Amino acid sequence: MKKELKLTVNGQPYELYVKPKTLLVQVLRDHLGLTGSKRGCNDSSCGACTVVLNGMAVKSCSILALQADGAEVLTVEGLARGTELRPIQKAFLDHGAFQCGFCTSGMLMASTALLLENPKPTKEQIKEGIDGNICRCTGYNSIIRAVTAVVKGEYKEGK
Amino acid sequence: MLKDFEYFAPKTLKEALALLDKYQDECKVIGGGQSLLILMRQGLVAPQYLISIKGLSELSYIKDAKEGLKIGALTTHRAIEKSPVIQKKFSVLAEMERRLASIQTRNWGTIGGNLCHGEPAGDPAPVLMALNATLTTTSLRGERNMAVGDFSRDYFEVALEPGELLTEIQVPAAPPHTGAAYTKFNIIESDLATVGVAVSVTLGAGDGVCQDVRIALGAVAPTPIRAKKAEAVLKGKKITDNLLKEAGEVASTEAEPISDIVASEEYRRELVRVLVARVGKEAFARAKA
Amino acid sequence: MSKYSVIGTRVHRVDGPEKITGSAKYTFDLTLPNMLYGKILRSPHPHAKILKIDTSKVEKLIGVKAVVTGKDTIGKKQGIWRRFPELCDEEILCRTKVRYIGDAVAAVAAIDEDTAEEALDLIDVEYELLPAVFNPLEAITEEAPQIHEGVELNININRHIEWGDVDEAFKKCDHIREDQFVCSSQAHVCMETHCALAHFDYNNKLTVWTSTQAAYYIQALLADMLGMREGDIRVINPYTGGGFGSKFELDSAQFCAALLSQKIRRPVKIVLSREEEFTATKRRTPMYYFLKLGAKKDGTMLAKEVRVITEGGAYTAMGATALYLTGFFSSFPYKYPNYRYDGYRAYTNTAPTSAMRGFGAPQSTFVGESQIDMMAEDLGIDPIEIRRKNGMTPNYEVPGQAFIQSCGLHQCLDKIEEHIKQRGKLPPNHGIGIACYGFMSGGIFNWFDTPYAFSSAIVRINIDGKVDLFTGANEIGQGSNTTLSMICAEELGVKLDDIRIHSADTGICPPDLGAWGSRETLHNGNAVKMAAADAKRQLLEFAAAKMGGLNIVHDLDIRDCRVYLADRPERGLSYYDVVKEATRGKDGEAIIGRGHYTPHRKGMISPAYSFGVQAAEVEVDPETGRYKLVNVTTAHESGTVINPVGIEGQLEGAIMMAGGYGYCEDQPMDEGKILNPSIADYKLIRSLDMPETKILEIDTYEPEGPFGAKEAGEGLTNPTAGAIANALYKAVGVRINTLPITPEKVFRALREKEAKKKKK
Repeated sequence: MKKELKLTVNGQPYELYVKPKTLLVQVLRDHLGLTGSKRGCNDSSCGACTVVLNGMAVKSCSILALQADGAEVLTVEGLARGTELRPIQKAFLDHGAFQCGFCTSGMLMASTALLLENPKPTKEQIKEGIDGNICRCTGYNSIIRAVTAVVKGEYKEGK
Repeated sequence: MLKDFEYFAPKTLKEALALLDKYQDECKVIGGGQSLLILMRQGLVAPQYLISIKGLSELSYIKDAKEGLKIGALTTHRAIEKSPVIQKKFSVLAEMERRLASIQTRNWGTIGGNLCHGEPAGDPAPVLMALNATLTTTSLRGERNMAVGDFSRDYFEVALEPGELLTEIQVPAAPPHTGAAYTKFNIIESDLATVGVAVSVTLGAGDGVCQDVRIALGAVAPTPIRAKKAEAVLKGKKITDNLLKEAGEVASTEAEPISDIVASEEYRRELVRVLVARVGKEAFARAKA
Repeated sequence: MSKYSVIGTRVHRVDGPEKITGSAKYTFDLTLPNMLYGKILRSPHPHAKILKIDTSKVEKLIGVKAVVTGKDTIGKKQGIWRRFPELCDEEILCRTKVRYIGDAVAAVAAIDEDTAEEALDLIDVEYELLPAVFNPLEAITEEAPQIHEGVELNININRHIEWGDVDEAFKKCDHIREDQFVCSSQAHVCMETHCALAHFDYNNKLTVWTSTQAAYYIQALLADMLGMREGDIRVINPYTGGGFGSKFELDSAQFCAALLSQKIRRPVKIVLSREEEFTATKRRTPMYYFLKLGAKKDGTMLAKEVRVITEGGAYTAMGATALYLTGFFSSFPYKYPNYRYDGYRAYTNTAPTSAMRGFGAPQSTFVGESQIDMMAEDLGIDPIEIRRKNGMTPNYEVPGQAFIQSCGLHQCLDKIEEHIKQRGKLPPNHGIGIACYGFMSGGIFNWFDTPYAFSSAIVRINIDGKVDLFTGANEIGQGSNTTLSMICAEELGVKLDDIRIHSADTGICPPDLGAWGSRETLHNGNAVKMAAADAKRQLLEFAAAKMGGLNIVHDLDIRDCRVYLADRPERGLSYYDVVKEATRGKDGEAIIGRGHYTPHRKGMISPAYSFGVQAAEVEVDPETGRYKLVNVTTAHESGTVINPVGIEGQLEGAIMMAGGYGYCEDQPMDEGKILNPSIADYKLIRSLDMPETKILEIDTYEPEGPFGAKEAGEGLTNPTAGAIANALYKAVGVRINTLPITPEKVFRALREKEAKKKKK
């Protein structure tokens, strides 16, 4: 009953064998040990599982793994290159754009997807970009400030 | 918890239809699954066979022709939202998509999947009804066409026969001096509609008289409905604020809303009354422009 | 040179790098080899006797390794008010009776989650349904069914606070108002649901990794409930995805995982589903408020009488504290010469109500600030003026109750007045409403094990000068790890980077009561400061000997990793050199500093209080009643600001939570069943709904706090609902006295107002 699944995650190709009912988030967390993406709900509402699939933000709990066959997935673990943090991560640190941290990978990936699609979003577009993600700690505004700082070019890629 | 199922990922429409024909009631079709997967994860739907049509790129397109738009059923909400031709010619569709759920949902979920889910509070159906849209369903037996308004039968029940797939939505080219607008009322911006109102107004050349009007309401009946009596108030008349107010009042009597934890029946009717007048005014302004 | 090197600076959270790379492992992420997955079977009935539980079918299911029911427990009832046995009324895994929909009756451990879920369906429970009661006002009548044996009229607990003579004072008032309010429940909605990974090993030692605010409480309560010694239990808080008051009591995930693991001696992990999180964990206490307020015509308030009935739900939990605090904070932040509070908590057959950020104060602030605005209008006095006239000031004694040392309320009022003036003329249908608050920095009493609260800390200096800080404080996102590391670094005179904090692991950290009631900064901060000072003293003694003699030890200090003579700062030694020699020079002793703090003898309720004033601007759509939160500006004072980034985050987060309490969050029920137990249906403020926020910091100094700091985080959830209510009145002239203030309520009130106008 299991089917073959081939996908690339954070630049690494994988060949897996999964039951059809497996969700993409289960492949990431349970099969590949990438526990950065979290799960916080059972109705596709919280966004904690957000990853970037073929350049788009998606909720990995709401996609059957087999539908991601052949796809390129980027998770939070794929942002930093070793100790070299990406601008969005540096901005999050500087702006205190996280507290308990459970929604944070989802927020980082939603922001990453937003900036991939549009490197100069307006404030309203930034808010839209993370509107699918619930945060119970920060009140969102520090996250918006962090993304805004990246948009303004306050951070460079590299160390 | 998700129950086990057998999974097929047909590569062509023909293959998909053959599978549907084979498994009939025992199978479910999954496009983006943004609605279906929630039901499956909660154990409310547990098909033995699941046919994923997400890979049928032949059903994902936005074609602009003289007669109007043809939108493939597997076009994502996000593609519709971002389409330059839709933003230009049917901006109400792009505006509606912009407030639908979240960007993540719109990136993977499809317009066809949304319509087939048959959520009474869904955003696309009332807008498409206001735009006089039609749709095509396809099976091994051939194609059927119908108005979008005839597709919904009941709560979460649509007019798909066994073996059928929704394949295309057609939005006819708008006559000159047509304006359309949509809004939904909710208390959290990206929430499902408590009440949804879509209005399309077509004016006669230069005289401000309403030649044609369609008012579609969402979330106030088991299916999205047309407020035909309210339309009759406006049709053939010169549109004024008072007339729009009257149309709103009539529309509120045509709605059959329920009371639930979000809003009472009475409040929903009041919202229909207010929003039909408001959205009607907006559509009218766009028609004049 | 700024007064401080570390505190007051904008720093990266010490747990930041792990969190923003997705590396931080929460209990939700942890696995152990040979681990089993647990699931809990819960009662579908609000009130019933358990006649029989048949687990025979489950035991036959391949993949199920253990099943437990109430019969597998030692039959103890626990409660967080542990020193009062009559308030320890919760079995967690019910033995004979269930008292709310969601009460646990059995648990299974299986090789995977699906099997565990399937197994629950195979457990047959025979119930005898009992009549149930859901409303606290009905629960305290003779006709209501009794929920706990021996508790008459379902009155769980009552509380009384009084000073002066309100009855006499009312006679002297020029104007009296009587108003009623209803405060709703609220769900914490932590992003990480309750979860626990329990490992009961073959040495009869239990280790539990869990999402918690109080590792120490969990350790003690597990010991009680399993009949074990605390020392044989180790509770570890790895990273916790939010608490907000929901995670310092022993919960079903922790208890059932421990029980299952005890039975099978394999690690067992239980993660509550989001639905269980909404229905089977604790929630904010709903309250019915009856307020009577009397004033002189110049606005001086003479008397306030408060009567409250709270919906207790099925068990005591922390409801007794919420009941007390709501009465206490009903007197805040004003000077009432006469005051009387009577509060009753009624058991009901609903999910237990307990502690949630603010702990009864958001409720009391909503009602109190609404009423004072109404009083101001009656008297023709400006809402800021009336608050100025009666507001608390520094060194004020709440008669016989509490001593307020630092208090910046008046400066906050000035700032908000200025802010409102600057905003100028508002567009139509806009309104600005204000609300004041005061909140405590941790309680003095401890009804858990000792009479008074306590915190302790250990600082160990390593040979390379790096510092290990051991604290029982729990990091739950509020930033205590960072704040305490900053305090330690400042006191010791080293860099923040030099501190490595170990927190909330009962195996290695000294005890602390936990992260609730806003204790961590003041209580643990003081303990950490003392421990750091102790370690510093040991270093300085060594340095003094090197620099000329022990007589100068009191003139030495450390700052920026340099030991120096205070009045001759050019004379000094490198901190690292001193450490190296000090640790080598002794008999192999490590340099260990010990610290502790108890608020005993620091007043009656809390050693310190923080104050603030919030102004909320709303924009109303009068045709639909929908309103937008446009801007929320808060002037607040929390003593010395240790971690400014942290405080800003706490404030903005508080506005999201408290704004939600005012605007949209609710748990409607039908016969005890929560109707919206999902994130889609439970309305939460998202980024598009969040108002603009502004912080106006008032500088104050709290002598009791470490470096003058006091709480900031919980008090900030108090004012928003009241500010919203007052803003709506200013905007469109309607007053809503029940929470949440939904658009439909505003719409109906506007229509009623129109109808009344037409009649006239």
